[in-house]
Amino acid sequence: MDVSQYLEIFLDETKEHLQSLNTQILNLEHSPEDADTINEIFRAAHSLKGMAGTMGYKRMQALTHEMENAFTEIRNGTLKIKSNMIDAIFQAIDALEEYLNNIQEDADEGTNDNEPLIKLFQEILAGGGKEEAPAKKTKGTKKKATKAEKQEKWSEIVLGDTEMNVLAVAKKQDKNVYGITVKIQDSCLLKAARAFLVFKAVEDLGEVVVSEPSTQDIEDEKFDTTFSLIVITEYPVAKIIEAAESVSEIEAVTGGDLEIDMSVLGEDEDANGLITTGNALATTGGGGSQGGAQQEKKVSRPVANRTVRVDIEKLDVLMNLVSELIIAKNSLVSASGNEESSDRNSGVNEQIEYLESVTTNLHESVMKVRMVPIESVVNKFPRMIRDLSKKLGKKIELYMSGEETELDRTVVDEIGDPLMHLLRNAADHGLEETADRIRSGKPEVGSIFLDAYQEGNNVVIEVRDDGAGVDIEAVKRKAVERGIISFDQGENMSEKDIVDLLFHAGFSTAKVVSDVSGRGVGLDVVKSKIEALSGEVEVKSIRGEGSTWIVRLPLTLAIIQALMVTVGDEKYALSLGSIQTIEDVKPADIKFVQASEVINLRGTVIPIIRMNEILDNESKKSPEDDMIVVIVKKGEKMAGLIVDELMGQQEIVIKSLGKYISKCKFISGATILGDGEVALILDANVLI
Amino acid sequence: MDTMELGVMQETTQIIVIQLGEEQYGVDIKFIDNIVKMQHITRVPKVPEYLKGVINLRGEVIPVMSVRLKMGLPVDEINKDTRIIILKLDTHGSIGIIIDQVKEVVTLDSEQIEKVSYDGKDERVNYIYGIGKYEGGLISLLDFNAVLAE
Repeated sequence: MDVSQYLEIFLDETKEHLQSLNTQILNLEHSPEDADTINEIFRAAHSLKGMAGTMGYKRMQALTHEMENAFTEIRNGTLKIKSNMIDAIFQAIDALEEYLNNIQEDADEGTNDNEPLIKLFQEILAGGGKEEAPAKKTKGTKKKATKAEKQEKWSEIVLGDTEMNVLAVAKKQDKNVYGITVKIQDSCLLKAARAFLVFKAVEDLGEVVVSEPSTQDIEDEKFDTTFSLIVITEYPVAKIIEAAESVSEIEAVTGGDLEIDMSVLGEDEDANGLITTGNALATTGGGGSQGGAQQEKKVSRPVANRTVRVDIEKLDVLMNLVSELIIAKNSLVSASGNEESSDRNSGVNEQIEYLESVTTNLHESVMKVRMVPIESVVNKFPRMIRDLSKKLGKKIELYMSGEETELDRTVVDEIGDPLMHLLRNAADHGLEETADRIRSGKPEVGSIFLDAYQEGNNVVIEVRDDGAGVDIEAVKRKAVERGIISFDQGENMSEKDIVDLLFHAGFSTAKVVSDVSGRGVGLDVVKSKIEALSGEVEVKSIRGEGSTWIVRLPLTLAIIQALMVTVGDEKYALSLGSIQTIEDVKPADIKFVQASEVINLRGTVIPIIRMNEILDNESKKSPEDDMIVVIVKKGEKMAGLIVDELMGQQEIVIKSLGKYISKCKFISGATILGDGEVALILDANVLI
Repeated sequence: MDTMELGVMQETTQIIVIQLGEEQYGVDIKFIDNIVKMQHITRVPKVPEYLKGVINLRGEVIPVMSVRLKMGLPVDEINKDTRIIILKLDTHGSIGIIIDQVKEVVTLDSEQIEKVSYDGKDERVNYIYGIGKYEGGLISLLDFNAVLAE
């Protein structure tokens, strides 16, 4: 079979499984007894083995096979998890990743057999008290386990009132009511199709009243390998089982009479609904508690979304088309606005408004398609911190929140490295040595936090540690030593400015250059990378309490909501995301602080910027007029921009100014207005 | 520079003849993406004077420069003949240059093009890579690497 066309899917899915293994095994390290985690790991290992086998990657298959064996034992409770096992599993994951990299490069898994690892696993298995060959034994226990499970299955189905009624009526009519449980072979690739054939076979003989999981879930393959049915039929149970077994790739079918509490019927005829409910629950074989447990288990299983993988370039094309559509829509809006309003026009305006809402929705949907949770990036961090912790000899715990926060796909792809660097930096430089921590009365285990959340049009990712904080004096000394600042400059700089020196190229304060971080390249690269994504990074630090690195990224890159303003006779756009408020200010309210103009806005002193001066442009307003001040915010800093007039809010498509004009720092791009004119986009972040 | 080499290799070069001040200049047709009428140019602050701003060309934002100002000629007089030639260059992307008038298209073979070497005396010579001789007239062939250099 030619499998090359599946290579990409294989790579993607293998990566996902490996990632899930990494995460789950970290969980396992904390709670070695957690059955859900063990099952999840077993499932991932099993899928990996199956996929590697299908693709013909024998070595990969062999290694995953050993992993699967080990977890079968763990799942059966015959093997306890020890720390050497966790290490071995991590090594195995690394080895699998290596295979994967090889495959990605030249579609070949390489020649590394990883024999020592396989041996290690076999030793672990043997150490678990097995005398027989581990693989064989595994199979035996597994089968037994599933059989015991199986017999229970159909009797565990929770029945609703109506179903109960239907069954009771059938029973009264002297029909047979059976429960059957079907197990499909593990190796079966088209489980849903097999299940469908079983349904069909059974429905030839009778009526399927209930299925567990639901038919919808079965169609979507949201089930393991077994499913159960309750059937009303005139035939004996053996006939039903025979029919189901006639479908190929079915491992086993069990079934039997379902006991029906006939009182349900009687009471229901008395229209005594309340009691019925209680009875129905009690009669469902397993009883309430068992049913409840099963329900819970179902919830915890990840729901596989129906997804299609789409080439990002196709999405880019779609995005561009949407941009064009919005420009065209904007020109319609301005064209209709220019004409005298008449009866005929009101109809046009209505349609334009409708078009406007459709394009806005279309844009949002396309944007959403491009959005992915940062989960895919941050998931690898716990593992990285664990390795770092061992390497550095520090006890470190990573706490993450907001992994579900979504960002544009292009941003997510790029943000991994800078974040990784900040985390390494926090682990290496931020957190003190364990001995120092104990001395200063801190918990022995250092904490690093990674929090992601949305704030307006931005996504904020914070990397925080409870380490020593930035040593201002050391940074200052180093900066003077390196000739980045002069001694006098250093004396006059604020703490914040000194901390910001950390982002200066070629700056590393670690006394010892370790291979974790601190090779001189680093934070400046982080900064430029984040700025390349139109984001920004700042650091806050309290000596002795820790540092916080704050990364702000724009939610989307291509289309934004903007406030259009005029300065002189020119139009400019300001991203709505950075605007706090708009104020009317009398010229007399402008005060001077250190020779620069400020206003006092409800107790906050805000520096003001006269946009006409910045833009080398003549303001059209006379100095006595009230001024329109747009208050913009960047992090905690604020500034008031004085503009001539407000034109209103508009959805704009960001265009680059072209390679040739890239000198102007506070212009972040341009946009095309409805009348075809180009307006520049002011970057408030640079102005502040 | 590769303009020159290509000019030699190819038998003929198609040149669009343009008017800039009193002189005629030539632009190799292979660099030209489009020629549009003068339109509103959005000024961009804090850039050199010869960069006049940006225009909208079918949904793309294109920077526009004044070749006159760059070459030290008097300021452009905008009239009905004024055009913006949109060039597409590997090094600078798309860029528009303002010229006084588009005259004609001529075909020169390599023998009709005389290379000029930099002599440092006349500043304008720095911006041309050759002189085309055509029906007795002379066309200065613009070297965009030099014209667009900052």
